[in-house]
Amino acid sequence: MKILVAEDDELMLKMLEFRLRKDGHEVIVTHDGREALAKINELIPDLVITDIMMPYLSGLEIIGAVKKSYPNTMPVIIISGMGQESVVLEAFQLGADDYITKPFSPNELSVRVKRFDKAIIL
Amino acid sequence: MLLLKLFSPLAFFISLRTIGVVILVFTNLIVCLLIFMLIYMYFRSKREKNQVNYKLISDLLIHKAVFYDGIMLPETLIPVTKRVKKLIDNKYFRNRLTDELVVAKKNITGTSAENLKHLYQQLNLEQYALKNLKSRYWHIKAKAIQELYLMELKEYEFELYPFANDKNELIRMEAQVALVQFNGFEGLLFLDDITYSISEWQQIKLLQKLSNLPPVHVSIDSWLKSSNISVVIFALKLIRNYHRFELHDAVLQCLDHPDPEVRLQAINCFSEIYTDETSIHLISRFWREGLKHQLAIIKALQNIGSENDNPFLLTLLHNDNYEMKLFAARALARSGKKGLASLNDYGSYDNKLNDIIIQVKGELAA
Amino acid sequence: MNWQAFVFDGFTYLMMLYAFSLMSFYVFIGIFSVGETRNYIRRNSFTDYRMLASAIDAPSITVLAPAHNEGLTIIENVRSLLSLNYMHIEVIVINDGSTDDSLEKLIKAYDLYKTDYFINEQLPTQPVIAVYKSRNLVYRKLIVVDKVKGGKADALNVGINISHHDYLVIIDVDCVLEQDAILKLAKPFLEQTDKRVIAAGGVLRIANGCEVEGGRLVKIYLPEQFLPRIQTLEYIRSFLLSRMAWTRLNGLLLISGAFGSFDKEIVIKCGGYNNKTVGEDMELLVRMRRYMEEQKEPYKVSFIPDPLCWTEAPATYKTLGIQRNRWTRGTIETLQNHKKMFFNPKYHILGLVSYPYWAFFEFGGPIIETIGYFMFIVFCVVGMISWSVFFIMISIFSIGVLYSLFAILMEVLTYNQYKQKRDLLRLALVAVAEPFVFHPFVVFSAIKGNFDFLMKRHNWGNMTRQGFTHRHKTKS
Repeated sequence: MKILVAEDDELMLKMLEFRLRKDGHEVIVTHDGREALAKINELIPDLVITDIMMPYLSGLEIIGAVKKSYPNTMPVIIISGMGQESVVLEAFQLGADDYITKPFSPNELSVRVKRFDKAIIL
Repeated sequence: MLLLKLFSPLAFFISLRTIGVVILVFTNLIVCLLIFMLIYMYFRSKREKNQVNYKLISDLLIHKAVFYDGIMLPETLIPVTKRVKKLIDNKYFRNRLTDELVVAKKNITGTSAENLKHLYQQLNLEQYALKNLKSRYWHIKAKAIQELYLMELKEYEFELYPFANDKNELIRMEAQVALVQFNGFEGLLFLDDITYSISEWQQIKLLQKLSNLPPVHVSIDSWLKSSNISVVIFALKLIRNYHRFELHDAVLQCLDHPDPEVRLQAINCFSEIYTDETSIHLISRFWREGLKHQLAIIKALQNIGSENDNPFLLTLLHNDNYEMKLFAARALARSGKKGLASLNDYGSYDNKLNDIIIQVKGELAA
Repeated sequence: MNWQAFVFDGFTYLMMLYAFSLMSFYVFIGIFSVGETRNYIRRNSFTDYRMLASAIDAPSITVLAPAHNEGLTIIENVRSLLSLNYMHIEVIVINDGSTDDSLEKLIKAYDLYKTDYFINEQLPTQPVIAVYKSRNLVYRKLIVVDKVKGGKADALNVGINISHHDYLVIIDVDCVLEQDAILKLAKPFLEQTDKRVIAAGGVLRIANGCEVEGGRLVKIYLPEQFLPRIQTLEYIRSFLLSRMAWTRLNGLLLISGAFGSFDKEIVIKCGGYNNKTVGEDMELLVRMRRYMEEQKEPYKVSFIPDPLCWTEAPATYKTLGIQRNRWTRGTIETLQNHKKMFFNPKYHILGLVSYPYWAFFEFGGPIIETIGYFMFIVFCVVGMISWSVFFIMISIFSIGVLYSLFAILMEVLTYNQYKQKRDLLRLALVAVAEPFVFHPFVVFSAIKGNFDFLMKRHNWGNMTRQGFTHRHKTKS
């Protein structure tokens, strides 16, 4: 599966990339919201994993943009340090498909990502 | 000039020699400052080059630990190169590695996080934190406390406990968070005997730490009677966040608390825990309060009010304050069809009220 | 003693007195700012700001961005405001009678529609034409207000009337903000215990020559042009040294209108911005302080030394002159409005130290200096000049240079934004050149401001923007 990851923290980004590669996914890494959106439109990934607080464009805007252009084909997983109910609700209202709060477990992430993989195969 | 020299005491100050000396001192100072800056910059840029290197090594090490595949037993060692072992003695590398470890640990849970802790202990970094705990500088102490709790080294809890009421605010704050990190809700027991007030920032920090933990039933009512105002406010926030309905009546008593901030927090608290009668109690205290509290009460009524409150809210539409009118209209509109209908009857009285009603209806539709 | 000698003597005395008090203020500022800045950095070195971004109890903040003919960059500037790290926020953009297409651009880019919006007119303002909100859920934090032109103060007052949050963050729409800027500005309000925090200011840095993309700072460079570079030094000196020192004393009088936060309740109680002055930012803070003193409520004004806001400095002598002229008039108007506090013990530090300092050094400085130059020339012509007077002048210059160097040192020790080695030397060079090139011009503009004030020429002067040239990319 081709996965795009958007995250402004370098260490986190590397960890996400490594874990997903290990699971056999193709990973596109981006460091901010604008870069992410550009790459999404250019490379059309199968799944987007994004942080919320990022420079230029927030993760919430990315959900909005993805759900507008690729309504049913491109799931978005949010991975954020913000666990407050209101933020989570907002993300889901905008169309996020899953929400993972930091601190997160890489193993759990890997399982959650697989769910979307299956959905596409079926 | 002669006159000046004869009559003025200034002559002493501005005699050529004195001035010459002054100028010499200044130029010297300027040159010294410049030289110091250059030397400092030289060492700094050298250190920064090293820092880039240190970061790479740290990241690699953390990476290795996070994705360590073997089974992790207490005696297992994560393979560490000789170079790193040597570098650990270097203060700058050690600080860098520790910082990176702490950041990574903050973002990760599960076995990977355990591995990070393992690496931290394997490299004996906790010894340095414990040493820093005895530092004479408060910021170093506070940072050491933070490091210990973020690494979840519960075994040092007793070393940290006395700091929870330290006279330095930062040390106190970190120690309190540490207690909560180690013991969850039971860690809050420090509230019983804390004498300093807890800043709002600290309250947010504590609530945030708690929000990651499974809620445990602790007794809150005694904190509501604390003589430390900030403890009372914090207790009210706990009641609100964790919906402790059984404390409804205790919160009710806080509505008559002498401190206005406590009363305000109590009003806000009722938005989350309320019974059929809550609004009656709020309304009965309405006219005793100032504008800020009155608005808070109406805001609470927006969430908890019923149609029974409509007569009261309708009287507020006559109030001179437009903010109050707006809030009352909003509460009416949200109370149900009857409220909305009575609002409609009111529109024609004054133009501004009409604008308010249009806005409130627009909000409902959105 | 003949009268010439008497005049000469008195003049020398006064000059010495001025030099001496200036030097003591420099020393005081140096010591205090070191203390305050070190304290701040230590306190916040291990703070996790992002925890605040989504906390339930985080203070609610309204960002007020007045805009007048900013059509070129408004879309990306607003977008960068919307992506700031903070959840409990609303962004109000006030279109103050723009004659360009700012509003149309905003409507199109953010899918705005006209709403029925009741405005609680707590502060009297020019009429509002319409209030817009976005149909797109993602932008629901955005409110755009279109109003009849009334100047910056008036636009801000409209924003305050519309705001429903507790704290205000005032920014210039063309400023470039750091991602965590709001978080850092909000923190002081949460730390208040016995003293109410009524406002918090932030550092302005010079963005000329920096690489800016999509309303974000990408890379920091020392400006290549002379004027912006010298202002870089000036800003470091004024923000990192002077304002930090005044903060420690709790006597800060000025929070820049380009970036600062305020407690809305107090702002409204004081009557909001005064649209009769050209120095509305200083005037408001002074009025708020005065109000708190009169209410006998303990209060504090905080200041954040982190470089959070980057702004464009005037790059030509003409625009610089206009700006300084306006600043001078603003200072005079504020001092005049609040002259009651001058050496009035009822106002404590505000009346006994801050106000007199502004009166003597910020307002009086240029005047005293000009008289000094003038007398110097007169004495030269008359042939009464001695080496001693000349030496006094040289030492005044060297005090200034020393102070500037100290400021550079502080910058290097704290935030060290200019990484290239030669930047430091270039700044030091500028510090030496300043008293001969830049400073006389600033003094001249201030004198002109005084003159204009007496002639009652009240206008803002148009500051033509240079745009972030060279490395600037426009993309919307």
